[in-house]
Amino acid sequence: MNFFNTVYESAYNNLIAGDSYLYILSGLKTTVIITLAGLFAGSVLGALLCLMQYSESKILRFISKTYIVIVRGTPILLLLMLLFYVVFAKSRMDAIYIAIIAFGLNGASHIAEIMKSALESVDSGQVMAARALGFTKFGAFYNITLPQACEFARPVYQNAVINLIQWTSVVGYITIADLTRVINNIGARTADPFFVIFIGILIYLGLAYAAYLIFKMTERKKRVRR
Amino acid sequence: MIKVENLSKSFGSLKVLQGVNAEIKKGECVSIIGPSGAGKSVFLYCLNGLEKCDGGSIYINDDNICDKKTDINKIRLKMGMVYQNFNLFSHLSVIENIILAPVMVKKISREKAIETADKLLETVCLFDKKHSYPDELSGGQRQRIAIARALAMEPEIMLFDEPTSALDPAMSGEVLAVIRNLAKLGYTMVIVTHEMNFAKEISDRVFFMNEKSIYESGSPGDIFNDPKKPATIAFIRKLKTFNYKVSSHSFDLIEMSSRLKLFCVKYNIEAKKIDYTNLAIEELITYILNHCYDKKQTPEIDITVEFGDIDKKIEIEVVHDGKTLNPFDKISYTPDETETKSDTDNTDDTDDMGIFIISNISSGISFSGENGINRFKIKI
Ligand SMILES: Nc1ncnc2c1ncn2[C@@H]1O[C@H](COP(=O)(O)OP(=O)(O)O)[C@@H](O)[C@H]1O
Ligand SMILES: [Mg+2]
Repeated sequence: MNFFNTVYESAYNNLIAGDSYLYILSGLKTTVIITLAGLFAGSVLGALLCLMQYSESKILRFISKTYIVIVRGTPILLLLMLLFYVVFAKSRMDAIYIAIIAFGLNGASHIAEIMKSALESVDSGQVMAARALGFTKFGAFYNITLPQACEFARPVYQNAVINLIQWTSVVGYITIADLTRVINNIGARTADPFFVIFIGILIYLGLAYAAYLIFKMTERKKRVRR
Repeated sequence: MIKVENLSKSFGSLKVLQGVNAEIKKGECVSIIGPSGAGKSVFLYCLNGLEKCDGGSIYINDDNICDKKTDINKIRLKMGMVYQNFNLFSHLSVIENIILAPVMVKKISREKAIETADKLLETVCLFDKKHSYPDELSGGQRQRIAIARALAMEPEIMLFDEPTSALDPAMSGEVLAVIRNLAKLGYTMVIVTHEMNFAKEISDRVFFMNEKSIYESGSPGDIFNDPKKPATIAFIRKLKTFNYKVSSHSFDLIEMSSRLKLFCVKYNIEAKKIDYTNLAIEELITYILNHCYDKKQTPEIDITVEFGDIDKKIEIEVVHDGKTLNPFDKISYTPDETETKSDTDNTDDTDDMGIFIISNISSGISFSGENGINRFKIKI
C-alpha cells in the first residue's frame, strides 16, 4: 500500500499540482513546433544545397560543399548560442525563431547529403532507358529518379528526423521552455524528479514512434530493390 | 531509313568513332559485331541521339539528328532501345513499366495503354507476370519485358545493345526467339551482339566494327565465311597466336616446346595436333639452322602459331633472314628422291627426313623468299 501511495503522491505533485500537465503540454508543443519548422526549413535549404552541387557553376558547388562541411561539423548547441548571443543578440526576435533557424541550418547540411547520396544510388541505366523512351530530362527525373531516390532516402531521413527531435532538447540553453526544460523545471520544483523525467522519456519515445508511423504510412507497398 | 555520314564522336581526348558511314534500309536487320570497346554501344546511342555526335550527320528518314535544330525527343519516339542489363524501372510493376511512357509521353489514355500492353505481354508470353516487379523475374523474362516496353511506343526502328550478354544460354534462347519474331514482322533492326550464330541467321547485313569505324560490312555469308580484311578474319576465326624468336644456334629447344605446349593446352587443342605442330617447328628450325645460316652468323627466326578457336585450324609461320632455300620443292616433285641420293652426308640425310615428315603431317605448305626475307607457312 505504501508503495502505491508514494507513486500516487509523486504523480500528483509532478503532473497535477499547479497545472503541471498543462505546462508539460506547452513544452511538448514547443518541441513539436521547433522540430517540424526546423525540418521544413532544413529540407528546403537542403534541397537547394543539393541542387547547387549539380550546378554548372563551380562557385555554387564550392559554396554548397563548404557550407555542408562547416555546418555539419559545428555542434548544434554552439550554433544555437552563436545565433542567440551574437548574430541576433540585438534583435528582438523570439528565441523560438532563432531555434528554428539554427535547426534549419544544421538540418540542411545533413539533408543535402542524404538527398545527394539517394539521387546517386538511382541506377543511371534506368534514366537512360526513360530518355530512350522519349522522356525529357525533367520527365525522366520526375518519373524515375525522384520516386526511387525517395525510397532510398526514406530510412536515412527518418533517422535524421528522430535525431532532430532529440537534439531540440538543447534549446533550453537559450531560454526556450521546450519539453526538456519544462521537465527540468517541474523536477526542480517538486524535488522529486524521477517520475517526471520518466514521463519525459516516454513522451520523447512517443514522438519518435509517431515519426516512425508517419514514415511507415508513406511507404510504398513494394520496396525498391536493386 | 537510317543514313550515317562521316560520323565522329569522342569523349574528351578519346576518339571513339571516326568516319563512320552506313545506310540501313526500311525493314532491314543489321547486326553489329566487333571486339569490346570498339564503340558499338556508343554508335547505337548516337543513332537515337542519347549521345551527341561531334561531327558528320545521321539522317533518320529525312531528319538530321546531329543538327541542333532538330527536335530529337520527337524523333527518338520512332526508335526503341533494348539494353544488355534490361534497365527496367525497378520501382514499377511490369504493367506500369510498359505503360509509363505511352501514358506520360504519348498521352495515350491509361485504359488504351493497358490494352496494348496486355497484347504485348501475350506476344512475349509473360501475361501472367503482369503485376510482378522486375526483381521477381528471371533475366530472360526481364529482357522480354524490356522489349515489350520498347514496342509499346510503336517504334519503327529497334536498337538492341547486346540483349543476351547478361543471360545464360537457356534464357538467351527465349529472348532471341522474341527478336527473331520481330524480324519476321518487318521491323527495322540494329542488333549489337556476340552471338555469331544468331547474327548469321537473322541479319540481312553484318557490320564489323573495329578501329573506330565500320571496318568491314557485308552479307552474313561474306562476313562469316569469307571475310576479307585481316582484323575481321582474326575476329571471326577467334585467332589465338603464339610467338617465339630464335636468335642463337644453341637456342633452348625444350623451353620453346614447353611454352608451345602450354599455349596449345590453354586453347584445348587436341593432343595429336599439338605433337604435329611441335614436331613440324622443331624439324623446320633444325633445317633452317643447318642450311640457311653459317655457324658464325647470328640467326633471326620468328615463329608464329595461329590457332582459330572456331575452325580449329592451326597455321605455323616461320620467317628467317638466312639463305633463301625451299626444301619442300624437292620433296613435292620427287617424293622418293631420298633413296637415289647416295652421296649426301649424314646431317643432310636426317634433315631431308625432317622435311619429309613435315610435308606428311601438314595439310598445306607455302614458301616465299624475297629481299632476304624467307617465309614458310605450314597448315596443320
Ligand atoms: N560516357 C562515356 N564517357 C567516356 N568514355 C566512354 C563513354 N562511353 C563509352 N566510352 C568509351 O568509348 C569506347 C567505346 O565504348 P563502347 O561503345 O561501350 O564499346 P563496345 O563496342 O564494347 O560497346 C570505350 O573505350 C569506352 O571506354
Ligand atoms: Mg557495349
